[in-house]
Amino acid sequence: MTFIVLLLGLGVGVLVGLLGVGGGVVLVPAMVYLLGMDQHLSQGTSLFILLPPIGLGALREYWKQGQVDLRAGILCALGMLFGAYGGSLVALPIPSRHLQGLFGCFLVLSAILLWRRSQLERRRTVAEEHRAHD
Amino acid sequence: MRKNTVLMTEGLRRDAGIFLVACLCGMASGLFGIGGGVLLVPLLGLLFSFSQHRAQGTSLVALIPPTGALALLAYARGGFVSWRTGLLLIPGVFLGGIVGGKLAEKLKRQRMRQVFAGTLFALGVWQALGAWWR
Repeated sequence: MTFIVLLLGLGVGVLVGLLGVGGGVVLVPAMVYLLGMDQHLSQGTSLFILLPPIGLGALREYWKQGQVDLRAGILCALGMLFGAYGGSLVALPIPSRHLQGLFGCFLVLSAILLWRRSQLERRRTVAEEHRAHD
Repeated sequence: MRKNTVLMTEGLRRDAGIFLVACLCGMASGLFGIGGGVLLVPLLGLLFSFSQHRAQGTSLVALIPPTGALALLAYARGGFVSWRTGLLLIPGVFLGGIVGGKLAEKLKRQRMRQVFAGTLFALGVWQALGAWWR
């Protein structure tokens, strides 16, 4: 069991580094389905895992290339601190079954947003390539 | 002078907008036990026209401080945190992140993001159906 959990962490970590997104979206369903944990317990544990600054190394790389808006980032951190507390107060009284269903809907929504983003990006790259040829 | 005031109010409006969007992402973070980056990155891009790299770098700033701490406390008070599983997952996620970061350089990012969006979509539908289709 311990070994499976260690291996699961490694697998999720590879996805995180590969895609540059937080591990929570992958961690929560993995704990629910692979470890058979309850939805609330998975979400609480995921918040615990995200507590240490695991993105620090990645941030340094972005900082070196000047791809960081520090002012906006600090504003986002403040907003998320309070927002996350509010969200947890909403989540805790919801029965686990409905919370799992809502989580599913949220994943579908993020998938659509992510897909739209990658479409926009592709259009931009194609346009740049055209310009390079001209 | 007048132009300066206009610029300042515009800057303030942008700051307020970013703060509000971050509050929203924080809500999702506390509600679903995730980092919030999946939502913050596309929204910074779509609403405030950040480039993909700048959006990711800025989102990382917001994920360095323990923004989920208040939410984690709320979950812990309800007994919804598996500390043991969490501690076992952290080293794997960290090491896997480094491996994933190196792999990412070799793979086409857009293709990866589309595969990820597809996976999220399927996972979301599965979660929602699993919860409510009974």
